[in-house]
Amino acid sequence: MSTVDTSAKRSALAPFGKPFAAAGGVLGIVAALLPWVTFVLNDGNWPDKSTLQFFDAPFLVTGFRWHVLLLGILVLVAAFAPIPSRGRVIRALGWGLTLVSFVNSAYITVKGGGLGAITALDGATAFGGVVGLVAGVLTILAGYGIGIEPVGEWKFKISTPVAYLVLLLSFGAVLYAVAAMLTTGGVGSANPYAGAIFLSFLGFAAGVLGALSGVGYVRWLSALSEQHRVFSVIVLAACALLLPFTEAGNEYWMTVAANIGIYAATAIGLNIVVGLAGLLDLGYVAFMGIGALVAANFSGAATAYFGFDLPFPVAAVIAAVVAGIFGAIVGSPTLRVRGDYLAIVTLAFGEIFTRSAQNDIGGFTNGSNAIPGVPALSLFGAEFNKSISIGAVKLPAGVLYYVLIVLLVAATMAVFANLKFSRIGRAWIAIREDEDAARAMGIRTGKMKILAFLIGAMLAGLAGAVFAHKNGTVSYESFKFLESVTLLAAVILGGMGSIPGAVLGAALLFVLPEKLRDFEDYRLMIFGLALILIMRFRPVGLIPDAHRRAEMVERADENAEEAHVEAKKA
Amino acid sequence: MTALLEVRNLSVAYGAIEAVRDISFTVEAGQIVSLIGSNGAGKTTTLRTISGLLRPKSGEVLFQGKPIHNEPAHAILGMGISHSPEGRRLFPRMTVEENLHLGAYVRKDDGVQADMQRVYDLFPVLGERRHNKAGLFSGGEQQMLAIGRAMMSKPRLLMLDEPSMGLSPIMTQKIFDTIKELQSLGTTILLVEQNALAALALSHHGYVIDLGRTTLDGPGHSLLADQRVRDAYLGEAH
Repeated sequence: MSTVDTSAKRSALAPFGKPFAAAGGVLGIVAALLPWVTFVLNDGNWPDKSTLQFFDAPFLVTGFRWHVLLLGILVLVAAFAPIPSRGRVIRALGWGLTLVSFVNSAYITVKGGGLGAITALDGATAFGGVVGLVAGVLTILAGYGIGIEPVGEWKFKISTPVAYLVLLLSFGAVLYAVAAMLTTGGVGSANPYAGAIFLSFLGFAAGVLGALSGVGYVRWLSALSEQHRVFSVIVLAACALLLPFTEAGNEYWMTVAANIGIYAATAIGLNIVVGLAGLLDLGYVAFMGIGALVAANFSGAATAYFGFDLPFPVAAVIAAVVAGIFGAIVGSPTLRVRGDYLAIVTLAFGEIFTRSAQNDIGGFTNGSNAIPGVPALSLFGAEFNKSISIGAVKLPAGVLYYVLIVLLVAATMAVFANLKFSRIGRAWIAIREDEDAARAMGIRTGKMKILAFLIGAMLAGLAGAVFAHKNGTVSYESFKFLESVTLLAAVILGGMGSIPGAVLGAALLFVLPEKLRDFEDYRLMIFGLALILIMRFRPVGLIPDAHRRAEMVERADENAEEAHVEAKKA
Repeated sequence: MTALLEVRNLSVAYGAIEAVRDISFTVEAGQIVSLIGSNGAGKTTTLRTISGLLRPKSGEVLFQGKPIHNEPAHAILGMGISHSPEGRRLFPRMTVEENLHLGAYVRKDDGVQADMQRVYDLFPVLGERRHNKAGLFSGGEQQMLAIGRAMMSKPRLLMLDEPSMGLSPIMTQKIFDTIKELQSLGTTILLVEQNALAALALSHHGYVIDLGRTTLDGPGHSLLADQRVRDAYLGEAH
């Protein structure tokens, strides 16, 4: 989005800014109250009884129409309340409206066989979707009309108890949003409309988040949590541990959340290599595979290489060390090759790992039969894969794994954060920025790059060890090139060098495929499309690191300056 | 008394191409010594070799009488040779303070904060905007930061590669004044410049380098008076 474009749009749309916003808001509310489908679809009525037969929306607005109603009200509030960066907020809300309306309308159109399903058919009318789309587009235009100013900055200070309360409520809201994000649309393919409901929810969440970020709340909150770091970390950890008590607290979602956690921990490790040291690694998942294989071989499984089992903590440490040694070996070419060439070396390593594992080289991997029957972990007689009861509260199976993995992710985060702000982290960032200048500063670049690979690989190995026990089977199939690419995508999507970014990236990349199951063959296509869109509109990643963000801001400034100069010439 | 830095018959090659052929010069402690010469004369290569970023093909580099040409870059920096590279090579996305911290990377003592304050005293503009990104500063200010960063390792010998490159005449004068000030505070300076006039004017000793060889040398003021230097580098037409 170049600066020239927006300023041109602004001049043409400026007089329509507020009226469009008002119209968009009102139409949004109207859309929420109108029926959206003219008949009952084959798979059953549309999720919140929006067909004519079941139309009771004016009195009971639920599901996506509740979201549309809320967005409409928010647009009206944003248009008339004294808020900073009004245009940016309204544009975000407009995108939310558009996305929710589009997802629901498109899905109904495809399932219901044509536009009749969402307009008029056999005397019945259902213009909710169309009105919602119009409202969304009007609101986006209104945003441009009012003008896209920089993100609002909140200057006021609050006392510590109030800050604690704000943080508590905000992180509580995050917990609620995460639980809703996981459970919305139901489990896997049990609900025929799960994918659409989920995408619609994502649209709503994106709109609200965009508005909160535009008005300056997100920046203010992150500054606040930086200020009260210890308290924030405790609350965040508590929120993570409370997830099993929300509606996501069943075996299925505990399993999904645990898997996300394993990949998030691995992604944070990769973030050291890629995000901090700036070394592109395309075979990273191999280190996770090595960790998993080591743990499986020491686990006492029937086909394990070693006929004895070690206690899990010991096996996990060995797994991390072995993976770290391989990391250092793979990292050593970084002394000689840079950039693209390094990527090829790491790609080759990943491929060597997969092929060797497939062919059972050394007898450690059991080839294509995999190593099955890796026993579940247990602590004081409580098996991690069984449900447990604490007093009267019965917790779902898998909850202990979830807790273990939350601890794993927290530990990885702590390692990452400590390294990032240490002398080592400064050296890595210097190497990423300008390797020759870093050498001139006396940084031993070769040693530091190998260290990055070593530590990254150790974290992956540790995650792999947990993976082996949690999944019970270790096969080379879990550690192929696609997994490496997905992890890299998680890091880039979330924002390179940023910790929350890596977690969010991993969560999105491993939840989306789960949620899009009912799109069957189109699943990967939609997934890819979503990635392209996110990178197009937010190239620094969803939660960018401060350095990276600065870089993009500078570029935007340069663009603005160039445009200014050109305008003067003309 | 041995010179602080002595370069003897130094040759450096990139593959088959010899960039530096048989250069010799000495830098006495406490002086400003400049290497002047046109583009491609081998000045930058010489500095990069002294600081350990390149390895010589033959010849020796002695620092306080000790050969250093086979030592790694970080060890040479640790001995007290600091190099502000050509084109400044700041970390533009890092703040002033972070750049200075990296300049002190090899130091393990706790005087870093005090030295940082000294840089801010020398260049108040850096102190005022210490949390701003280095890339947002003007060329002259960036050069100040580059010099400040090189000073952060507490060098005995400071090597500056083209500090006046791309700067306005006023800013160039300011930078040269600073160099003079640093020398008066006790730092020995090896200066590489294309701006021969300004460099020789403040140098105790100058060396003219042409096509990888030292062709002339002498005290700064006498080189300034030398007709051959005036013809070749000071742009005087006859």
